[in-house]
Amino acid sequence: MAGYLPFDEPNLMTLYKRICKAEFSCPSWFSPGAKEVIKRILDPSPITRISIAELLEDEWFKQGYKPPSFGQDDEDITIDDVDAAFSNSKESLVTEKKAKPESMNAFELISSSNSLENLFEKQAQLVKKETRFTSQRPASEIMSKMEETAKPLGFNVRKDKYKIKMKGDKSGRKGQLSVATEVFEVAPSLHVVELRKTGGDTLEFHKFYKNFSSGLKDVVWNTDGAPEEHKA
Amino acid sequence: MGCFHSKVAREFRGHEDPVKLASETAFSVSEVEALFELFKSISSSVVDDGLINKEEFQLALFKSRKRENIFANRIFDMFDVKRKGVIDFGDFVRSLNVFHPNASLEDKIDFTFRLYDMDCTGYIERQEVKQMLIALLCESEMKLADETIEIILDKTFEDADVNQDGNIDKLEWSDFVNKNPSLLKIMTLPYLRDITTTFPSFVFNSEVDEIAT
Repeated sequence: MAGYLPFDEPNLMTLYKRICKAEFSCPSWFSPGAKEVIKRILDPSPITRISIAELLEDEWFKQGYKPPSFGQDDEDITIDDVDAAFSNSKESLVTEKKAKPESMNAFELISSSNSLENLFEKQAQLVKKETRFTSQRPASEIMSKMEETAKPLGFNVRKDKYKIKMKGDKSGRKGQLSVATEVFEVAPSLHVVELRKTGGDTLEFHKFYKNFSSGLKDVVWNTDGAPEEHKA
Repeated sequence: MGCFHSKVAREFRGHEDPVKLASETAFSVSEVEALFELFKSISSSVVDDGLINKEEFQLALFKSRKRENIFANRIFDMFDVKRKGVIDFGDFVRSLNVFHPNASLEDKIDFTFRLYDMDCTGYIERQEVKQMLIALLCESEMKLADETIEIILDKTFEDADVNQDGNIDKLEWSDFVNKNPSLLKIMTLPYLRDITTTFPSFVFNSEVDEIAT
């Protein structure tokens, strides 16, 4: 805001001295509200210094302030279509029941559970943000079973062809848990269902998937080791 | 600033110069320095020799020395550009460059082609894909009848192998990927954008003008 530091000394000892005495001055163009907040933030005494809670209530601070919202994770290319599918599209000509699920080819299958992302994780990823299961049931049956199972778990369900967007009604650690799923046809009477967390806490997604997949027992053929860690 | 220079030199001795690497890739110098932090931790996990061997790579990917898979093995081989059985820092940065969100589509398509062309014949053969598929299914403990696997391959090759010669060549692959962009999903690591925050480096390269990406 000022274009320079409040405490700027060539010598570390002198710098610390100034900080402890709160020896700084605000430029003349600062509003009184700004000066007041800064004075309270740069208060050397932690007891009297402004707290985050108080800062959030400060009039000057509140101006134009937008509280953080726990936004959606980056959606990948596959599930990105879900947004397009739910936007204003004029695809009313094809009846939903007749359309077939997207097909998944051999390469997509091979690469679906492989990623270099783990290189960047410092610890074992105990819980993944996405998982998949296979099913030998017809796609429409998979879809209705998923809808049936998600609702009693407290999820709001929006379907579009072979995609479902689910949103939990309870607000968890990082906001509401939201999950996107899509059914793909891999071969006649063999489907792969991908589920991906699109918002909320990953541990909650893991818990949700445990309940969800047990409710889908009749439909699930193989599950991709669940979002739990692989057996070493 | 004499002491600064020798600090940088000391840090990167035996490894490629970060400034040179930055000029050849989509990474900024600070990002290369951050990658160095990651490289250091991976390359010292089993043998502290400044190089990533197969075991260290597996450990980094699976957090377990015992796990490996055909896909990861292939990636290791591709990162091991000089075919020395180990990945040095230059190889590491240049290989990860392809996964950068800003890397060219062409490079990504080329990487995936070489990835699936396991025996490096210049063609993706049906047998190679079958091998990878079976290995993947084995790992996920999904058992599929051979017949079903053949059906999956049939469908895939019907789509991709336009001249129906049983192989997918570079051009056919390129067209196939353009029709199925999700095939490139694995080729972009959004993590690379935040690399300087995930792996903060304390080598401040104040000489270089940083253009915020």
